[in-house]
Amino acid sequence: MSYQSATGPIGAEGRYWDALQEGRLELPRCTGCGQWHWPAVWRCGACGGWDHEWVEQPIEGEVFTYTRTHHPFGGTEAFAKPFSTLVVTLKAVPIRLVGVLEGDETGLKIGAPVTGAIARTAFGDAQIPALRWSLA
Amino acid sequence: MSINLSGLTAAAGVGYRQYKRGTAPLPERGVLVRAIVEACEDAGFDPADVDGFVSYGDDKNEPVRLMPDLGTKAINWSAQVWGGGGGGIAGAFGIAASAILTGQARAVVVFRALVQGNSGRLSAAVMAHHLNDHMVASGILAPAQVCAMRAQRMFEYHGVPYELCEELVRASYYHGSRNPEAVAYGKAFDHDEYRASRIIAEPFHLFDCSRENDGAGAILLVSTEMARDLKKKPVKLLSVAQGTEAGYGDLLENDATELYPTAGFRAIRDRLYGTAGLTPADIDVVQLYENFSAQGIASLIDHGFCTYENVAEVVRYENLIAPSGKLPVNTSGGNLAHGFVHGFVTAVEAVRCLRGESPNPVPGARTCLLAGGPGAPTISSAIFGVD
Repeated sequence: MSYQSATGPIGAEGRYWDALQEGRLELPRCTGCGQWHWPAVWRCGACGGWDHEWVEQPIEGEVFTYTRTHHPFGGTEAFAKPFSTLVVTLKAVPIRLVGVLEGDETGLKIGAPVTGAIARTAFGDAQIPALRWSLA
Repeated sequence: MSINLSGLTAAAGVGYRQYKRGTAPLPERGVLVRAIVEACEDAGFDPADVDGFVSYGDDKNEPVRLMPDLGTKAINWSAQVWGGGGGGIAGAFGIAASAILTGQARAVVVFRALVQGNSGRLSAAVMAHHLNDHMVASGILAPAQVCAMRAQRMFEYHGVPYELCEELVRASYYHGSRNPEAVAYGKAFDHDEYRASRIIAEPFHLFDCSRENDGAGAILLVSTEMARDLKKKPVKLLSVAQGTEAGYGDLLENDATELYPTAGFRAIRDRLYGTAGLTPADIDVVQLYENFSAQGIASLIDHGFCTYENVAEVVRYENLIAPSGKLPVNTSGGNLAHGFVHGFVTAVEAVRCLRGESPNPVPGARTCLLAGGPGAPTISSAIFGVD
């Protein structure tokens, strides 16, 4: 793992960050029982297995929930206010990922289909790899 | 071997100090000492004989440092509930009771202190407990935003009317306006001001959010037997439960779909009522920890007072105010309108209302549910009662 966290210790998801930095979304599946895990785990709590494979995924899904932030909370300087943060249920695997919405917000609602891209979020001196969603 | 703790311990004394944020006259530990001594005086108990201390929410006041001021002879028990938010507030009473009922301590103070100059902003401290690169990269830096996303799901997907937030806020302000200790004392709730208040994170306006105060609170817990020999009427701990369940918690918003918009109390509801042998219908008054208005409503649903379907029949201003409402909630004003020292005022008012000391009395109230911090990864609640 080469990714250096901007905020604190990383769990078992080092590979996620490395892949994202290289422009790919990869998520972990237990090689023992096939269970997808997010947050990433070292040990599969379902079958007890220790081995996971990281599988590249398309960045698309639908809105599970969202909030549009108006207050200038410290640390959100990268985003002009207001900005919308989306929790998105991926289409291909039963995992939700969070990211900021870009572009036209017309039609933003739970269930709306979105596609994503990989960008960077400035946070202090760090440039954190991040997902940006767009309404499909 | 196990025992049912119901009714075996009791709150014997209460102390609470509250100031506008940033204006406490003493540093944090000084304010805390005042509150603890006040709780002991309320009970008629020598502070030097307190031998146990319990807190929650990453409190920074290590009990050993309180000893010189309190004259403490010995600490026989000290512990804290895990978690950076208010989820542990009621669970702290469970830890205290466990120590007393196993003979490991005799007199335990449950406390929480927060003075901005010492511990910084609470919202920042809570977030520091949870922050990670996933959230920061998505512009999520505050508890309000996380709770807003869960609230949005409750409103938009599960059909809970957003307008109910105002009913709860208005009831809190009604009670607070009649409480000389409250930030809202003497202030009438204004519908237009509420609606026009600036948006923090949709769906929350400013008045949907608890705002921090400096202060400290302390409650002395002893065996019910000992409490009977002290000054005030014992307020018995009838039940307490803490915890969480699979599919809820610090999961990068990957909670189980049905649990995501809840406040987390489904995990403990049955244990909570079971220990006391009570049902929601037996609860006379609720002290509801509301970090945000929507989470307060989610908590009432979790605790079985209403459902997604009939929530509008229960969360009505007239139904929530004392003494006429069927379900008086936050009779001192709660976190929103009394003051917010990490929720401790809800525990204080749970004791006061059962003693008949509330600024908005509920005549004949015998049971009070203390619903702990909603939406925290680990949550807790308690039920108090009087004979």
